Amino acid sequence: MGRGTKQKTERSATFSRWRQPNERLLLAGLRSCAWLVALAVVLIFLFLLYFSLPALRPESLKTLLNWHWRPYGGEFGILPMVVGSLLLAVSALALAYPLGIALCLFIHGLGPRILRRPLRLILHLMTGVPTVVYGFIAAFLLVPMLRQAFHGSGFSWLAASLTLSLLILPTIVLMLNSQFEPLRARLETSFVALGYSPEQALLQGILPLARQGLLAAAVLGFGRAIGDTLISLMLAGNAPLVPEAPLDSLRTLTAHIALVLATDAQSSTYQSLFVCGTILFGVSLLVNLSLRRLTRSILAPESPT
Amino acid sequence: MSRAQAGMIRFVCWLAAMTLVIVLGVAIVFLCRRGLPIIDSRLLFGDTSWWLAVSGQRPVWDGLWPALAGTLALVLLASVLALPVGIGAGIYLAEFARGKTKQLLSLPVELLAGIPSIVMGLFGFALILLLRRSIFHSANTSLLLAAAIIALLILPYLITTTQTALQGIDPGLRLTGPALGLSQSHTLWHILLPAASRGILGGVALALGRAAEDTAVIMLTGVVASAGLPSGLTEKFEALPFTIYYFTAQHTCSRELDLAFAASLMLLLLTWSLQGSALLLQRTLERS
Amino acid sequence: MTRRFNCALFCAMLLVLSLTFSAWGTGLDAFSSLTGKIDIAGGTAHIPVMKEAAKQIMKANPAIRITVAGGGSGVGVQKVGEGLVDIGNTGRSLSPEEIEKYGLQSFPFAIDGVAAIVHPSNPVTGLSSEQIQAIFAGTITNWQELGGPDQPINLYTRDEASGTREVFWKKLLQKGSIAERANVVASNGAMKVAISQDPAAIGYMSIGHLDEIVKGIEVDGAAPTQDNAINGSYKIVRKLYMNTKGEPSPLVKAFIDYICGPEGTPLISAAGYIPLQ
Repeated sequence: MGRGTKQKTERSATFSRWRQPNERLLLAGLRSCAWLVALAVVLIFLFLLYFSLPALRPESLKTLLNWHWRPYGGEFGILPMVVGSLLLAVSALALAYPLGIALCLFIHGLGPRILRRPLRLILHLMTGVPTVVYGFIAAFLLVPMLRQAFHGSGFSWLAASLTLSLLILPTIVLMLNSQFEPLRARLETSFVALGYSPEQALLQGILPLARQGLLAAAVLGFGRAIGDTLISLMLAGNAPLVPEAPLDSLRTLTAHIALVLATDAQSSTYQSLFVCGTILFGVSLLVNLSLRRLTRSILAPESPT
Repeated sequence: MSRAQAGMIRFVCWLAAMTLVIVLGVAIVFLCRRGLPIIDSRLLFGDTSWWLAVSGQRPVWDGLWPALAGTLALVLLASVLALPVGIGAGIYLAEFARGKTKQLLSLPVELLAGIPSIVMGLFGFALILLLRRSIFHSANTSLLLAAAIIALLILPYLITTTQTALQGIDPGLRLTGPALGLSQSHTLWHILLPAASRGILGGVALALGRAAEDTAVIMLTGVVASAGLPSGLTEKFEALPFTIYYFTAQHTCSRELDLAFAASLMLLLLTWSLQGSALLLQRTLERS
Repeated sequence: MTRRFNCALFCAMLLVLSLTFSAWGTGLDAFSSLTGKIDIAGGTAHIPVMKEAAKQIMKANPAIRITVAGGGSGVGVQKVGEGLVDIGNTGRSLSPEEIEKYGLQSFPFAIDGVAAIVHPSNPVTGLSSEQIQAIFAGTITNWQELGGPDQPINLYTRDEASGTREVFWKKLLQKGSIAERANVVASNGAMKVAISQDPAAIGYMSIGHLDEIVKGIEVDGAAPTQDNAINGSYKIVRKLYMNTKGEPSPLVKAFIDYICGPEGTPLISAAGYIPLQ
């Protein structure tokens, strides 16, 4: 056993070696499960790349990096959808993030103790609501309200943005929660001992220390927002243009993929779809990697100065 | 920070909490008001008698039964595919993987969790395209494909909850096995897994909920608006989330819109009960 | 003598009658010996007819499964061409390239018109084709310019795979442009839902889908009714086609005959289209 004894925990002490053949078989089976997952992810990436390669040649790239989507006229520009995705995700985050921080502060001290558990329960319940139900309720409740108030068609950037922010709110709050709790548990008494009131401890002591957690919640919320399909498909109007006002229609990359595969049928449009898919995959990869870096350093928190 | 500033912040927090509660309340009340009156004996089966419909002898028109059956079939098939792999991978990562291997293998799990569901659906579609072009000329989008992709989608839930559950086992408990002379596999099977079972079951419930509610994946891999009961692995099928989406966009009569409201309620209840049981299971795990 | 004559006449009548037996099976009986499934996709205008026919057939013979999907005429052509479905519906005739590339056969079964539609509360009841072209191109932007209330016009259009869109674009818009900011909806049903909920909207839809929740407007004085489509005064019409790849299988042939035959006529009329009889 030349693994280095200092790496051994109690865990490895019990499973250091597998002696019998059928146990080795079991271990092989378990190992193959884990590697299967890795294989699947690699496969997904390779497929996306393989199918978008034809579109990445210079001529076709030119058609893709265009501002007009008119497949039957030979124009396959996906830039409006890229902008649409970004605008929608950022606007939803801009609405949900402050709200999320406020709710998190409410749960952790600024609100009465009785209301903390119910509010947490409500947020957990919200995570269990299917996206399609959010979209459905918004389509029949929010869109008519917007239509009456603002004389548009109702299906707009604003409608999608409001609903999407509601969707990502629990994600943000629960993530912030998971960052705040260990910090609070460890540091609140210290701050109070120093003379802060509990609220001051929260606002002036703990909040600044949770910087990375705050960033992580924002990144996670952004990732969730940009990856969502149904809400923009059902609420944003789907005009392939860059919106000029909140009440204009927009189309996101995700809704674009769904629409084109369900309605358009020419094989040349498929290539542009796979480029959209690769872009989305790349964004989620970025989100993931940045989350990893941010949350890892939270596990080894900074000591209070 | 002055008291006034703290007071302002507190006010904002209250405002936030109240806004959330009001918005959610309005939404739920709206859904219930339109959806609850529809719930009658015709909801699931339309005009067909329930026994004939369930046994598949007669097709159901104007009822949600085919969509419900399709969702159940999809979730069942996806769990058959995903549970062994997910729990196995979770066990491996928690108990046997070390150092570099463990870091290397947990990255795909996190990546998989972050991939948007439409991209997964696109992958499924690409799979079929490739199969059609090469070896399997009659390959088509179907229940099997959709279930396979959904299985991929829910794997991260299973893996991470299994891992967390196993890693959270009291170290003292771990030594009981070897102390009693049990082999490693026996310890795993008789002591560790039962101790982690609640956490794992919680993960299973979450995964099932996710499988039931997903729309983007199935839209690209084989769901249609009307296909009757799921009739085979290589056939198209119906599902509740897609029915809701479809009727929202294009309901041809008020009955279809009513069905959409009822389907939303049904799906919501389904996911909430699965999530509720997950929370209950995990909470009892933490307590014990 | 008279007896023999009567006997012969009687036998002759029986013979003639027996020859017509085969014609009696064109209805639902034709399906009684068949099993299998039919997958149908394509034009959304066809869906009500297809669904009702499927209902009748599946009731008479539960061993047959018929699935109906939409997607638009373009999807119908591609899916039937690639062998993904058995019948691809289109709301437009096939182009020579499509016929050659996929080897498709067309079976027209109904005539349908495409109407420009607005919300029932909209005071506008008729427009000239130039006005409609200007509206969809985006040059006229407010209902006030057309005699309506002071509200910006909300444009709705179909996706580019739609046969309804192609007919509307070719015959009414004279291949003019459609403003990019128009909201895109995915089917006739979706268009109906969208227009019925938006008082300032204008779109276009198959006449068969018209009912009280939307209003079809007159174009150059001709109201969008099926009668006007038949007598030629309403010019924006098209045929509805079922298309198969090559020769249809017996089950698919039975279905096509069912729709095109006498049993299909009431279904087509009930859906609001004109049967091709």
